[in-house]
Amino acid sequence: MTMRILLIEDEEKVSRFVEGGLVAASYAVDAVQDGPTGVEMAEAYQYDLIILDLMLPGMSGGQVLRSIRRSNHQVPILILTARDTVADKVEHFEIGADDYLTKPFAFAELLVRVKALLRRGPISQASTLRVGSLELDRLSQQAKRAGRRIDLTAKEYALLEYLMCNAGRVLSRTMIIEHVWDQSFDGVTNIVDVFVRHLRHKVDDPFEQKLIRTVRGVGYSISDERSI
Amino acid sequence: MNPRSIRVRLSLWYSGVLGLLLVTFSVATYLGLERYLTSVLRQSVISQAREVVPLFSHLDNKDEQREIVELRAHYAPEANNRFLRVRRDTGSVIYVSGVPKDQSFDPAEIPSTQPPLAQESTQDVFLSGGTRLLLYAIPFETRDGRRLIIEAGATYAQVDNVTSNVWMIFAFSLPVFMVVAVAGGYALSRRALRPIDEITRRAEQITSQNLSERLPAPKTNDEVERLSVALNRMIERLERAFESIHRFSADASHELRTPLTILRGELELVAQRRDLSPAISETISSALEEIDRLTKITESLLVISRLDAGESGHESQEFNLAELARVTTEQMTLLASEKEIELCCDTPVSAQIHGNPLRIKQVLVNLLDNAIKYTPKKGKINVAVAVANGCVTLEVADDGPGINPAALPHIFERFYRVDKARTRKFGGVGLGLSIAKSICVAHGGEIKVESAEGQGSRFSVHLPAAVQPLSFSKTSRRAG
Repeated sequence: MTMRILLIEDEEKVSRFVEGGLVAASYAVDAVQDGPTGVEMAEAYQYDLIILDLMLPGMSGGQVLRSIRRSNHQVPILILTARDTVADKVEHFEIGADDYLTKPFAFAELLVRVKALLRRGPISQASTLRVGSLELDRLSQQAKRAGRRIDLTAKEYALLEYLMCNAGRVLSRTMIIEHVWDQSFDGVTNIVDVFVRHLRHKVDDPFEQKLIRTVRGVGYSISDERSI
Repeated sequence: MNPRSIRVRLSLWYSGVLGLLLVTFSVATYLGLERYLTSVLRQSVISQAREVVPLFSHLDNKDEQREIVELRAHYAPEANNRFLRVRRDTGSVIYVSGVPKDQSFDPAEIPSTQPPLAQESTQDVFLSGGTRLLLYAIPFETRDGRRLIIEAGATYAQVDNVTSNVWMIFAFSLPVFMVVAVAGGYALSRRALRPIDEITRRAEQITSQNLSERLPAPKTNDEVERLSVALNRMIERLERAFESIHRFSADASHELRTPLTILRGELELVAQRRDLSPAISETISSALEEIDRLTKITESLLVISRLDAGESGHESQEFNLAELARVTTEQMTLLASEKEIELCCDTPVSAQIHGNPLRIKQVLVNLLDNAIKYTPKKGKINVAVAVANGCVTLEVADDGPGINPAALPHIFERFYRVDKARTRKFGGVGLGLSIAKSICVAHGGEIKVESAEGQGSRFSVHLPAAVQPLSFSKTSRRAG
């Protein structure tokens, strides 16, 4: 069954590419440009997820959030905003937001979060992750490729697990940093590149088929080439 | 008690002026009184002498004895402690009063005066024993042509008596007045200045976090009220300025981020297409990299502008900087080992500070990242934390090439690059040290650098140690 997403975003171009990207990822998207229409749509139809921009004409995102929550406690709401202070985040989590994404964002990150909110299992609960001939056992925290064991440090393991959970999807450096380290490392260090290089050395170098891919300007992804 | 405080200076000035006035008043009163009493004494002596003149002026020689008897009976100068003498101008004495009742002088001691005819004279006569006598002489001619001189005198004892009493009164009361006046003045000025103390205390409590608060401005219609009102207006202007910085920061966030979001999103969508020629694909990737860099610059500038506007207080908590330094150093070890750099960490067990741990960590990450970038292969970097005198110091020292002395004063400036080509190669945006500095300042600390070319660089961050963890954590807002 196709998931239906309501996108409330007044910035036309943002709305267009988010809609385009989500449609490409096989979601059904209704895009509206202002708060009152958004509230109406949210009341009229059953959505699986609402993506809400905070700066809207006529009615602020906070008011829209409250109105929707008054009639619908269930639907997950993902906030998109250009305001990133902690006070802002706390305020909107308190009135019922489920997640918060600051602009500018990598579309991949939006997709990851959308999937998480839709409980489609972006963070796979499977105890063994597989990409091509690479296997990751999450219980024993061990990696194997083509039956050969690969020794990983704790950080390398965390990085590989994050990549493999999102296999086939491009993860931005910011996403990786926030997931594997913390945001203090963002914007300054090339720590991600160094760790990816180490990981490649262990995972890809001895083999002909390379699984870890660099997407220039965006980030990294792991995939079995044939599956794309 | 601070000797330079207005209260003390006011009291000192006021008592100085008061003291001067009191002394002037006392001296003037004393002198005036003495003068007045002397003139009264003189008038009394003169009138006594003049009263006696008619007794003798119309008499003949032979009546003298009768007048003398009358003089003794009626005037009795001795009883009033007065002196009276009637002489002929030849020198022979017709009458002289006896020793006065208070025995203040001996009449025999008093010298004769010899004024010319019809010319009265007054003079002060000093007798043995220090007695001072006012002596008045009036020569006249009797009806039968004899020349007589009448001399009347009185000691200054009465005048001296009164003046010395007055002197005593002044001498005792003046210091008492002064003490009362100084104490009263001090208390009064304390009372008058108490609202100022209150204003000072409240003003100290107003920071960038609570600029909406105002000072108390009691409607007293005096200088204190005017001061409060003026200060409140100033705080209001400050508040507006801060608000406009915050608003600018929020507006700029939105205005800069929205186009970046669109650029990025649209290009990412295009980049996913599989029918792109390698040239277009390359161009899009390059554009995405630049968008990424622009995003980092924007984020960094917004962070700096928010820090400079005093944002830091919100996510504050007490934490162990030593622990944070150990963990961060550990996390950066791999970056250092890429260049075979030895990364050491030397910390005490605990170094509690109060602040936003993510921000402080950002400072350390920035410093370490810089150090790793600029230290050549097989170099050494040392991270140290020390606690001394209520101050926690975090140090990052390397044995790299050091910093050019000409560049040293500018390295914390925004977008300053020591070596433009190199920094670009490393992918920095020239804001790492500016952010570090803004974070330190927002935490009530400072960041310093020492460096000599060829001898490495040493960055040190000084932050106030957490002193009252309990009261701090009570007032701090919830961390997000």
